[in-house]
Amino acid sequence: MTPLIRIEDLFVAYGTPAKAVLAGIDLDIVEGEFVCVLGQTGCGKSTLLRLVLGSEQPLRGRVRIDGREHKQPDRTRGYVPQKYSLFPDKTVLDNITFGPEVSEFNLLTRFTPAFYRRRRALREQAYDYIRRVGLRESDAKKYPDQLSGGMQQRVAIAQALMTSPRILLMDEAFSALDPTTRRDMQQWIRELWSATGTTILFVTHNTDEALRMGTRIVMLAKESPDQGSRIALDFRVPEPCPEEDIPRLSRQIERDLVPL
Amino acid sequence: MSPGFLLIHAKPPRAAALTLSWLLFVGGITAYLWVAQARHRDNPEDRVTPTVAQMAKGMWSAAMQPAEEDEAVSVENATAWQQFSRSMLWKDTRATAKRFAWSIVLLIPAVLIGLHMGLFPFAGVFFLRFVLFFDKVVALSLLPILFIAFGIDEMAKIMLIVIGVAPTIILDSFNLTRGVPPEQVVKAFTLGAGDFTVAYRVVLKQILPRILNSIRLNLKSVMLFLFAGEMIASTDGLAYRIALLRRHMGMDIIIPYVLWVALLLFLVDLTMRLVNRKLHPWFHEA
Repeated sequence: MTPLIRIEDLFVAYGTPAKAVLAGIDLDIVEGEFVCVLGQTGCGKSTLLRLVLGSEQPLRGRVRIDGREHKQPDRTRGYVPQKYSLFPDKTVLDNITFGPEVSEFNLLTRFTPAFYRRRRALREQAYDYIRRVGLRESDAKKYPDQLSGGMQQRVAIAQALMTSPRILLMDEAFSALDPTTRRDMQQWIRELWSATGTTILFVTHNTDEALRMGTRIVMLAKESPDQGSRIALDFRVPEPCPEEDIPRLSRQIERDLVPL
Repeated sequence: MSPGFLLIHAKPPRAAALTLSWLLFVGGITAYLWVAQARHRDNPEDRVTPTVAQMAKGMWSAAMQPAEEDEAVSVENATAWQQFSRSMLWKDTRATAKRFAWSIVLLIPAVLIGLHMGLFPFAGVFFLRFVLFFDKVVALSLLPILFIAFGIDEMAKIMLIVIGVAPTIILDSFNLTRGVPPEQVVKAFTLGAGDFTVAYRVVLKQILPRILNSIRLNLKSVMLFLFAGEMIASTDGLAYRIALLRRHMGMDIIIPYVLWVALLLFLVDLTMRLVNRKLHPWFHEA
C-alpha cells in the first residue's frame, strides 16, 4: 500500500555547534493509521511532528505527504498542540468555524450573501460538533478561558476536523489534563478516529496512553546523548487491545522494545 | 482593624479603602487652601496662590468669554452654550484635541509596522535596528529641526508627537506580536489561513487590547510632546494659554487649566478602557 506519509532519512540538529536531535529517521504511515510517537523528553517527538506539519525543515532528508513535499503548514494536516490550541479572542463557535470561513472566503467575498448562507450552514455543522464533543449548545458563545482544559482540547479537535484534514497531528494534546478527563478524551478520540478514519499522528510520552489509543507505536530513542534519536521500536498494537493487557504490554515495551 | 493592617495579607474594609483612596486628595486640597489663606492674609493682592473663588471666577470667564486675541462679540441674547462655543476655553480645548486626535490616528501605522516586524522576518530585519536607534533619539531635541523642516504650523507639532511616541508603540506592537504563541500561527495555517489572515485576523486581534493599553499608557507622553510644541510655537491650545498666562502670573486660570487637562486625559483614558473592555470581552488584564 502506498504510504500517505513517507519520512526518508531525516536529520535535524540545533544549536552551535550543531547537536543532532533526529538522525536517520525512516518511517512510512499509511492512510487511516493511528500512530503514537513515544519517547522521553527531548528525544525529538515534537520535532518530528513539526517536520510532518511543515513548520520546520530538516537539514537532511524529506517528508512527503501523498508524494509531495510541503514547505509550510496547510489544511491537509490538522494540528492540536498541547497548549494555545484555541484562539482566545474567538468564541467556541467562531473557533470551530474559523477554518472553513477563512479558507473559503476572502475579505471581499465575506460581504456577499453567499458568505452568510455558507456561514449559517457552517454554524449548524459547528453546533453538531459541539454536541458530538460532549459540550452544551450554550457553550458555543463562551470564550476558551471559560472552558476547562478538557473542553478546550475537545473544541480544538472539532476545530481541526472542520476542515476535514487527511492527517491529524496531536502534540501531547492531553498531557495537561487530569487523569479522568484524560481517559475520557482517549476514548473519545479513539471513537472519533474509528468513525472518521482520519490518519492520526499522536505524540505522547505515556506508554499506556499510546497502547490505549494507537494502532501502531513508534518509539524514538537516543543511543547516546550526543547522537540524534532513531526509531528504536515500531510496534503494531494488537487490535483490540484489552484494558487488562495494557500494563503488561506497557512494561514489555519499556523493557524489551518488542520489534515489529 | 487588626494589628497586622500594614502587612501583605491585610484586607482593607470597604469604608477604610474608600477613605484612604481619597485621603491624599483631601490632604492636598486642604494644604493648598491653608497656604492660600495664609498668603492672602499677608498680602490680599497675592497672585501666586489664588483662592477658590478667584479660580472659579477665572475659569468662568475662560469658559464664557472669548480669548483676548479674538474680537469681542455681542453676548446679548446668547445662550450659555453659544457663549461657551465662542469662549477661550473651548477654542483652546478644541485646538489641542484636534492635534491630539491627529496624533493618535497617525500612531495606527506604528501599530501595523510593529505587527509586520513581528510576523514577517524581512520586515523585522528591515525596520528593527532603525527603530531601536530612533527610539533613543530624544524627540524634544528634534523640535528645532522639525520647526525648520515643517514650519511652525500644525505639522511640526503633530510630527513631534509621532516621532516621540511612534517608536515606543512600534516596539510594543513588535514585542506583543512576538509574544503570540507560535502554535496559534501554525494552527491558523493548518486551518487554511493565508499570511495576511494570520496577521490581521489572528495576531492583530489578539494583541489589540494590549496595544490599546500601551497607547493608554503613552497618553501622557503624547500630551507632553503636544504641550512642548504648543508652548513653543502656537497661537492657540491649552498649553499655549498656560504659557501665555504665565507671563501675567494668571494663576487663577493656569491652575484650573492644568486640572482641566488632567480631567480630559483621565476621561480619554477611561473611555479607552471602557471601549477596550466592550470590544474585547475575552481579555483580562494581568
